[in-house]
Amino acid sequence: MVVKTDRSGFSITPTLTRRGFVTLGGALGGGLFVSLQFPALSGIAAQVEPASTTSHLVSWLEIRQDNTILVRTGRTEIGTGMSAYYAQVIAEELCVQPESITLLMGDTDSTPDGGYSAGLLSGAANLRKVGAYTYQALLGLAADKLSVPVSALSVTDGVVSAAGKSFRYGELVQDQQLDLKIPVSGAPPKVDPTSGIGIAGLDGLVVLGDPPTKPVSQYKVVGKSHPMPGIPGKVTGKTQWSCDVILPGMLHARMVRPATLGSTLISVGALDKTRFPTAQVITKQNLVAVLSPNEWEAVSAARSVASATKWTEWSGLPGSENLTQTLRAYKWGAPSQSRGKAADVNTALAHASRTISATYEQPYIKHAPIGPFVAVADVRADGTATVWTHSANSQGLRAQIANTLSVPIEKVVVRWLDHAGQFGRTTFGGDGAEGDAAILSQLTGKPVRVQWTLQEDLAWSASSPGWVEDITCSLDGRGCVTTLRSAFYSLQSTDARIVGAILAGMPCSQSKPGYWIATEWAYDKIENRLEEAYGMPNLGADSPTTGLRGNIMRTPGQRQQNFALESLMNEAASCAGIDPIQFRLLHTTDQRLIDIIHATARAAAWEPRPAPHPGARRTGVQPLNGRGVAIMIRENSYWMGIAEVEVTPETGVVRVTKFTLGLDCGKIINPRQLERCMKSGVVMGVSEALKEELVFDKGKITSTSWSRYKILTMAEMPEVKVVQLSRDDKGFGGGSEGANAVCPPAIAAAFFDATGVHARRIPLTPAYVTTLLKGQPPVRS
Amino acid sequence: MADQLALSVNGASHLVSASPDTPLLYVLRNELKLSGPRMGCGIAQCGACAVLVDGAEVRSCIAPLSSVAGKQVTTIEGLAQVWAQKKGLGETEAASTLHPVQQAWIDEQVPQCGYCQSGMIIAAVELLDRNQNPTLPEIKDAFTNKPPSPHLCRCGTYAAIIDAVQLAAKTMNA
Repeated sequence: MVVKTDRSGFSITPTLTRRGFVTLGGALGGGLFVSLQFPALSGIAAQVEPASTTSHLVSWLEIRQDNTILVRTGRTEIGTGMSAYYAQVIAEELCVQPESITLLMGDTDSTPDGGYSAGLLSGAANLRKVGAYTYQALLGLAADKLSVPVSALSVTDGVVSAAGKSFRYGELVQDQQLDLKIPVSGAPPKVDPTSGIGIAGLDGLVVLGDPPTKPVSQYKVVGKSHPMPGIPGKVTGKTQWSCDVILPGMLHARMVRPATLGSTLISVGALDKTRFPTAQVITKQNLVAVLSPNEWEAVSAARSVASATKWTEWSGLPGSENLTQTLRAYKWGAPSQSRGKAADVNTALAHASRTISATYEQPYIKHAPIGPFVAVADVRADGTATVWTHSANSQGLRAQIANTLSVPIEKVVVRWLDHAGQFGRTTFGGDGAEGDAAILSQLTGKPVRVQWTLQEDLAWSASSPGWVEDITCSLDGRGCVTTLRSAFYSLQSTDARIVGAILAGMPCSQSKPGYWIATEWAYDKIENRLEEAYGMPNLGADSPTTGLRGNIMRTPGQRQQNFALESLMNEAASCAGIDPIQFRLLHTTDQRLIDIIHATARAAAWEPRPAPHPGARRTGVQPLNGRGVAIMIRENSYWMGIAEVEVTPETGVVRVTKFTLGLDCGKIINPRQLERCMKSGVVMGVSEALKEELVFDKGKITSTSWSRYKILTMAEMPEVKVVQLSRDDKGFGGGSEGANAVCPPAIAAAFFDATGVHARRIPLTPAYVTTLLKGQPPVRS
Repeated sequence: MADQLALSVNGASHLVSASPDTPLLYVLRNELKLSGPRMGCGIAQCGACAVLVDGAEVRSCIAPLSSVAGKQVTTIEGLAQVWAQKKGLGETEAASTLHPVQQAWIDEQVPQCGYCQSGMIIAAVELLDRNQNPTLPEIKDAFTNKPPSPHLCRCGTYAAIIDAVQLAAKTMNA
């Protein structure tokens, strides 16, 4: 095999050896096991080799003599189709069909790489290389067996042929145990509370080197709409979800939560043993739970105990109606991140003859999965702990649990199973019911299943924080933007602490306040720009317990900052009297962006004209129509959205009637799954634009049911039209999230088009729209 | 407090030991090990726990066990059997045939996470039972305005669900 050297100059040669020491049971017999090797580089902490590297259990990929292929990844299926994409990417490199691959996902004791599950790009890049290294090894084996050079071989669907003979992959590895070690870098998971997230990184291990990969022009599997493997089980009831785990002797627990986010326990309500004979109450500091072998008894007893439990009252929150005021009053220091040329931008703006300034904002919102957090933990007296979870970061959670229980990370195993979509709240491995379950299992010595209620989930899980952004730009004589300055203000958004640990006073990861600049710049013709991001701690962070914890949510940071940027571009276009699509084309030379803008505009039958519509008005019972656009570049993907809305000024009701969404995400792996992701993302984006707002008073979250925290229903969904551009020469791009970020600024622009009034805050609820239409001076068309 | 109660689920009779106020969902999941219906909101606001009781959709998270005594309960695990009986399929064919609504959910690749889809499928079966050719507004109405609450999907698969309902209607009428 060719010796290659990566950019840092060390040898990264994969090695293929026969392993005599592994005993395999059953009929599997021989196989090719692809395992990991940290290159011998001195002075790099990441060089620690996991003790179990030589075990076949942590192999990344196995080609077995029965021709089955097993792929193990620490990444998981979060609903966006990763299980299909990963199988396709690796099947392509191996020249097999994806159906021949079994994916084992997320279990920390049997997957090698770790990492967070929304990261398609890093996950797919790894698997592509794993497949490519393995393919080269298989070719080498075949060339030996057939006594021909590798160049004489041809491969179709896992069958290698040359000189009139053919062998299936399984035959090449028959009765042998071959160990292919491939080079990786990265840090094995460790407990580091000061990292802010309890683990060393989000990407897990990274495969090194540059094995020959298949040219995109020869792709047969990637680019086709293969089905997502888990769907049949999910629609027939055969899937085992994380809520379905039942262990012998397991206790069901329901938590009794404090009255407010900073309450401390005064006294626990009495448990009526005559009514609830097998229930028990467990308390540790402010963590209170009722447990029973019978789930309904646990539910009923917890309600009874909760009603008589006394807590101190705490009022460290400003109330959601005062959020903006609180952000404004905060004494901000230096920005936590800054990008651009401050002096040039400030000078240019000071001397500009024409500027536009605006402030945009959004309240707190929730990830709000349909299934509240649930977890099972089995913590034994010897310190071993097994946790069943649906976290999007199994290794991160493993570190969190080890930290909280004060046990070595080697003693903690996290098993992953399907559950309701989390939309980013478990990216860092924290939050959730896993902490409650582990603590209660450690205290009782029995396996414990903790099921949160919806009310509890909306009140006690982390939230996506509200924000305010000030943005200013200068315009030239044509009305084009020449200079732009933005300052984004928000709150702690990477708080991965586990609620149970906080309440029980046990060790937690430490969160670092701060925020980041998430925009990827689309407008290369705007030469001068300065972006600043400021982050403050959690609201009520002075409380003895939690305050309002903030965590990232789908398209984090960019969703918010893109709303401000795109809204300002729409306002500037209107000021300049230029069609908003034309206006964007005037500010970019990026051909991929230009192409997706044109393709989407065509699909929406866009007729150029400036906004607002000549018939725009702010009163009346007749519905008005408007349309608006927004773009975004994210993770090698180019997005363009066109919203069409109907506004009824009299009632303040805004309906999105149609949304056209265009996407160029490089080489499309699976068009149908991508279409599903795009259409679903629009639903979440429209929901955020029109409905979602977390309400809290001085002490607690009060929007704790679906009637108080409203999300979009089927009847409110617009017609959605999808445009996809696939490119063979641009690699893979992120397409599973992102759609939600394109919707709000396009919808706000469409509202302006209909009414002539700028909507600088979301959600566009009837109450807010009514205030807006009555209050703001009209914009002349 | 625990009584012995007779229950008919997916065509089979069961004697369960539970207090009569226990919501059906807990009995299906914990006693009968049917994990199709799922705990969502627990207050009949989302639809994840939906099952059919004598053919009508019921939110099992709030329906007390006593309310289903003597009635036929169907979960997604029992839909294939319902279809096989309706069409009079032979044993072999029945074993390899899903309910057309489930098949449509696969063919149209509906799930994102899939957590709500059990309830969505139940709602679709009920809808297609009373309306063999629902229009788009009728589908949207059934999943949104029928009491006690809309069927909610946080991943946003509504468009895929509509596609699948329309496909299922076509197969069932074929």
